[in-house]
Amino acid sequence: MRAVAVYKWSRATASALVRQDGEVDWGSAKMAAGDDDPAVLTIAKELAGADGSVVGLTIGDGETAWALARGLDTAYAAPQVGPSPDNAATARALAQAVDQIGEVDVVVIADAVAHPGVAAALAAVLGWPVLLGVNSAEAAGGRVNARRRVGNAVETLSLPTPLVLGAVAVGEEAKPPGMMEMIKARKKPVTELAVAPPEAGVAARGTRRPDRQGARLFDGSADEAAASLVAALRGDGLL
Amino acid sequence: MSFEIWLVATAAEELPPLAAAAQSGGATVVVVAVGGRELAQAASAVGAAKVHWIEVGPGLVAEAYGPAVARLAAEAPARVWLSGPSPAARALLGGAAVAAGAALVGGGTAVSLDGQTVLVERNALDGAVIETLAADGPVAVVWDSNEGQPDVSGSASPVLPVAAPAPLAVERRSVEAAAGADGLASAERVVGVGRGVKARADLAMVEDLARALGAEMACSMPIADDLHWYPEERYVGRSGQKIAPLVYLALGISGEPQHMEGVRSAKAVVAVNNNPEAVIFRTATYGVVADLYEFVPALARALEDS
Repeated sequence: MRAVAVYKWSRATASALVRQDGEVDWGSAKMAAGDDDPAVLTIAKELAGADGSVVGLTIGDGETAWALARGLDTAYAAPQVGPSPDNAATARALAQAVDQIGEVDVVVIADAVAHPGVAAALAAVLGWPVLLGVNSAEAAGGRVNARRRVGNAVETLSLPTPLVLGAVAVGEEAKPPGMMEMIKARKKPVTELAVAPPEAGVAARGTRRPDRQGARLFDGSADEAAASLVAALRGDGLL
Repeated sequence: MSFEIWLVATAAEELPPLAAAAQSGGATVVVVAVGGRELAQAASAVGAAKVHWIEVGPGLVAEAYGPAVARLAAEAPARVWLSGPSPAARALLGGAAVAAGAALVGGGTAVSLDGQTVLVERNALDGAVIETLAADGPVAVVWDSNEGQPDVSGSASPVLPVAAPAPLAVERRSVEAAAGADGLASAERVVGVGRGVKARADLAMVEDLARALGAEMACSMPIADDLHWYPEERYVGRSGQKIAPLVYLALGISGEPQHMEGVRSAKAVVAVNNNPEAVIFRTATYGVVADLYEFVPALARALEDS
């Protein structure tokens, strides 16, 4: 199979600074690898197998070497495509890029908590089936068998190709590449694609801090805080 | 101005918060239910004007009916589309959004109309802020709230079976219960540990507290996957166990969204962390900024004394 692994397509929320009035300052934050991006690569490689291939695809200003340092030899980038609050707009940009890459059997992309619609909208724009929340997958007779956890059960599904899989990691990355691998990866070629920036169907009207300012905190010594907590939980009927 | 909000649902429990949100915005509510007859019946009882029912065939899953939902969406006079966060519902909502030419956003907590503009409030930056987005056209929203009960005082909504086009061949091959999930899944009290616990031997102290609480033990992903201190089935999170205890006591857990999604149905979350900036304090019910090595014995004593 020929797989596309989409990586570094959004900014890390930890990069944003929230001011006292709730305004958000992203500063110079760049596109970053998400928690599920290592799982994206793992699944794409498994589906490609020894006879197939995996190419990387990233958008915006993130460092393209991330995937190339993790075993890929080919990567595409669409640097004109920046972050968007509109998941459908991001998906349309990604679909343009996938179209330009050519014949593809499967696109694997993070099923990201912060952008829960991108994978599904990407599949819809491409006109392909989609499965989200996927933990692992394997090729089987021209189809894809994918496993995911649903509630407290694990289900295995079979899908036709081409398709889009939204990946969810079940563990942390086992062995991130070292400095030497990153240096070598930066020397590998990256093909830039001409993709129009997404036009968002929503406009930001601002941000504010939540009305509920987080947890009710118990102060004092450990014993005082513990006693207050127990009293509160008993008062709520939870103990 | 009247407007329609269409809900996409693949399970009955997804419907009440969506219907409540739609009703609170003063909209006419229409449900697209993709599932069995029980789902259609549940959908008819949430105060909607009507229910479009797409029955899922034997051996298939809701995702197989993406084209059917998209065909409905292309013709629907909906201004807003809502779904819950389940993978199946989001898969269908994404297709509906594209077919309807709608914007698509996540984290929704409120929707309203301001003149001709739809305003969507949503959780952003892991709950650090509420962001308001404005849409002059249709917009689809993945909902991020379990709260709200719809007004169901009216009669049952008519259920309109949809003559769906041929489904995609998205077939369920097997469903297996996750190993060892029973006790944790049904526990009323759960103690979860994260990287704030420094050594495996220290778990004994936490387990003593769990026994005093009558609680099951759970953990964050690194504790099971990286450190192997607990088996995989004790990991709570998006790709692990999803639990709904009365109390979830999170010890040394930072509160990343991947973990918190596993406890979103908990009645109360108590966070204990020595970092006052830990994101878990944004969403927890109660919090204590403390060294867990001091607080855990103190809590055990407090339970004994009370």
